[in-house]
Amino acid sequence: MSADTGGDSGGLDGALRDAFDWYPVAKKEFRDAIRSKGLWVLSFLFTALFVMPAARNWWGLRSAQQVPRRLQEFGLQVAISRPYLDIVTLLVPIVVVFAAYAAVSDERTSGSLKFLLSLPFSRRDVIVGKVVGRSAVVGVPLLAALGLTGLFFAVSPFTFKIGVFAWFVLYTVVFTLVFTAFVVSISGAMSTNLRSLAGAGIVYFYLSFGWNALANSIGDVLAQFAGIEGALRWQVVLFVKLLSPTQAYKTLTNSMLGEGAGAATTARYGMFQQGQEAMGTICGDVLGGNPQIRQTMFGNQTVCQTGGSGLPFYFSDPAVFLSLLLWIGVAAAISYYTFDRVDL
Amino acid sequence: MPAIELDGVTKRFDDVTALRGVDMTVEDGEVFGFLGPNGAGKTTSIDILLDFVRPTAGSATVLGMDAREESEAIRERLGVLPEGYDLYDRLTGRHHIEFVGEAKRADPDPEAIAERVGLDPEDLDRTVGGYSRGMTQRLALGMALVGDPDLLILDEPSSGLDPNGARLMRQIVREENERGATVFFSSHILGQVESVCDRVAILQDGAVVAVDTVEGLRGATDTGTRLVVSVAPGEAEPAADAAREVDAVESATVEGDDLVVAVDSDAKMAVLTAVEDAGIAVDDFETEEASLEDLFAAYTDEGATPEVAAGGDAGSERAGATENTDDTEGEDGGADR
Repeated sequence: MSADTGGDSGGLDGALRDAFDWYPVAKKEFRDAIRSKGLWVLSFLFTALFVMPAARNWWGLRSAQQVPRRLQEFGLQVAISRPYLDIVTLLVPIVVVFAAYAAVSDERTSGSLKFLLSLPFSRRDVIVGKVVGRSAVVGVPLLAALGLTGLFFAVSPFTFKIGVFAWFVLYTVVFTLVFTAFVVSISGAMSTNLRSLAGAGIVYFYLSFGWNALANSIGDVLAQFAGIEGALRWQVVLFVKLLSPTQAYKTLTNSMLGEGAGAATTARYGMFQQGQEAMGTICGDVLGGNPQIRQTMFGNQTVCQTGGSGLPFYFSDPAVFLSLLLWIGVAAAISYYTFDRVDL
Repeated sequence: MPAIELDGVTKRFDDVTALRGVDMTVEDGEVFGFLGPNGAGKTTSIDILLDFVRPTAGSATVLGMDAREESEAIRERLGVLPEGYDLYDRLTGRHHIEFVGEAKRADPDPEAIAERVGLDPEDLDRTVGGYSRGMTQRLALGMALVGDPDLLILDEPSSGLDPNGARLMRQIVREENERGATVFFSSHILGQVESVCDRVAILQDGAVVAVDTVEGLRGATDTGTRLVVSVAPGEAEPAADAAREVDAVESATVEGDDLVVAVDSDAKMAVLTAVEDAGIAVDDFETEEASLEDLFAAYTDEGATPEVAAGGDAGSERAGATENTDDTEGEDGGADR
């Protein structure tokens, strides 16, 4: 038994070990998880969930002689915006919740955390390693599923826009990682699996179904009690909306699918459903666009076109993407803060 | 520099006080036993050393570093066998040893470790979920040895081990100590601690009631060690006379047909030889070891005389404690394991 320091096992593995204290935890987590039958079932579901619409689409169109030109050209975008946005925002988080809710709380209740923390890992290393490890566990089947999905789109009659699909993959992966970070972090802050599951479930429901209402009621409160009206009110509402990873992911993807100069503006604008006057304010004063009233069969509708001062940088795609990424760090930091304080 | 220093450590959980101002010093290079009944606060003390729990008051230093602030640096040099731990069922023994190696930046040889702790090398590649309790404990002990730690902290290391395993564990403790490691280990079984430790602290109800060398401990223990010798009817008195001739014998009395000798356990054979030399056949004999409860009584009930302290008081005060007093029916030897 030698006690030489500096494990030179070589290669990427050794380099990662040298660079990151949390790396062994992440590696152990992944090794452990890929041996779990439950997680295999989960990733199978994951893959099926993702591939099915693309596969069905390919199947339905495989023998079509002539696909309409517009459908051929925009088919990929339509498919992403119709089933895929919902799959990603509503179903993927559920998979993530089940794959990750026990990440830390299970080790705490079983006692393996005692063993883990008797090794030279800080509690921060444990949280970070867990987030990274579980992200890999969720990420690998996700990437496989996305790859298969891409394959089906590539062989379908749709024009396969590799750029569009690559952005979709990137956003989807980041969104999934954010959710994984949330769930693992909740697990670190909770003392039992059940509480962890409940916490993750509540966060999921709130982010998916309650967030817009929250953002709008903050706007109402501002208007009613603080007298904040007009542009500032809607700026606050939009800001709150964008804080939700679900909303941020949706609007980022929509903006990407829109392809073009005004796509981001249109995507942000699409996050609101207000009266005509408010929509005008939102377009003109919040998003720096050019509101125009259009006659449709449902009456007058305000559409937002580019023009004016342009979309402010803090509502732009890069800013939204950055805030989405920041969530990973924020979640881990909050979790570390609570986890670091408790007796095991 | 002491390996471990606890200074007025108090720990209160919501409604329980687990430790009440524990002061304790473990010197570098010694084997230190931490003895106490279950629930005395042994694991809480160890949890504080490892920064699993934070003391309500007082401070702890390990290897000269603050247990709270420098926990990670401490754990670099520590080998730990925690109590109430669990391993990863889906990973193999080899995975576990490799994982510890990565954590400590050491390069362990899993085969050598398995051999040392008496784990079949073939079991190294089986998943831990299929291990027996004893195998798991052996693996965990082996994992604690990875990286030649300066300080070994073993919490109830013999739990789950058969007598052979427990012996092997004690041998490893000695080997590690000879290598230069300080060993701190807790147990609720007196015999475990007695045979390997240089010094022993006794913890009861969250307070250290005594810190003593093993000789001192033996002295206290032997107040409760009784050798019961069965001889032919009528020969008990002459046998008692013969026993009294042996230097180490504190007292020899006749109880019924038996000869009861209070004696240092090392001198048992001398007593038996002396009795046989006097021409009296020994039909049977048994030793009644002092129980942990007796030992606590010996250390805590300062005013009482040794014999009484070792037996009667402790027995009558503590519900369920074994009783080594006068009219024993013979079968209640104090071995409480």
